[in-house]
Amino acid sequence: MSNSKLYKGSLNTIILKLLNEHDKMYGYEITQKVKALTKGELKITEGALYPALHKLEAEGLLDVEVAKVDNRLRKYYKLTETGTKETVTKLEELAEYIKTMQALVNPKLA
Amino acid sequence: MKLTKQEIQFIDSYLIKNEVKFWDVRLELLDHIVSAVEDKMTNEGISFNEALLDVHRGFGNQFIEYGVSKNKIFEKGLYQSNSGFKKFIRQKQKELGRKYRKIIWKHLKIKFSTFKFWLEYASVILLFIILYQFKPEACFGVGLLVLILPTIYSSYYSFKDKSTRKSLSFSMATSSAMAVWSLYNLSFYILKNNYENVLSMPHSFFAIVACVFYPMIRVNIEVYKKVYNENKKTFDLKFL
Repeated sequence: MSNSKLYKGSLNTIILKLLNEHDKMYGYEITQKVKALTKGELKITEGALYPALHKLEAEGLLDVEVAKVDNRLRKYYKLTETGTKETVTKLEELAEYIKTMQALVNPKLA
Repeated sequence: MKLTKQEIQFIDSYLIKNEVKFWDVRLELLDHIVSAVEDKMTNEGISFNEALLDVHRGFGNQFIEYGVSKNKIFEKGLYQSNSGFKKFIRQKQKELGRKYRKIIWKHLKIKFSTFKFWLEYASVILLFIILYQFKPEACFGVGLLVLILPTIYSSYYSFKDKSTRKSLSFSMATSSAMAVWSLYNLSFYILKNNYENVLSMPHSFFAIVACVFYPMIRVNIEVYKKVYNENKKTFDLKFL
């Protein structure tokens, strides 16, 4: 990720959340979706995205589907049943983290 | 702007030249690079060469422009360093190893939860006991045969099917299957110091080792077959 190291720890949650909202997505589509949603604030680099996707796949949270698109093969990632459950947990953890940080950085708003 | 078949072919060859030899790794990189190049050409209005060079750097492949003449920047830039791709392959390799280990353990748990497998396992142990009673020296050969089953299996598929060649998934599945073989070698190594040669080692040892590792071998072959089928499906989609 180019913008900040602060986002690094949340990359898996971001990927899981996006896949939870879409049936299936391919690598480049994920980078573009994040860029669009954050208005270019967060750019996921290839060097960060693929290790994260492969790790989530190894953990059994993602499943892979390959399809032929425009003279080449495309690998789509989608959530497994365990992945869907894990997304809920990860999002709760992230919300809790944001709340804690808010309390530390801006106690008036917390 | 969609890339032509020739441009896609150029990117595929560029990946091969950058030592991305595994076809199952290349297919993911190729799709990403083609999508990114098409996007950059359309939205940023840059040329194919500029876009490809940009994406190449995005993967962490370093390029020092200093001292390179302007008309050679594209050619030099694409092949000066492939450290980003090397890292990509290394990380994928690591995660595939992890994935297969996880699948093997999952299959082992499933196997041990079925009565059918317990029956099969008990029969194998019984067969070894009978063999030991009648011909103890045969335990070495039969035990060895059981332990090299994954090797025979993987060699057969490597020989039979093109999809297994230069495939990272298949090569990692083979490595996982070979893990049992390493454990067997370790057992030999431990005994080696106490006995002069293999024949003087206790025959029961081979029977015990083969019985202990039998569930592992059985599951490894199953996982191996699963990886082969998945890989074959993708390979056929790519080349047929």
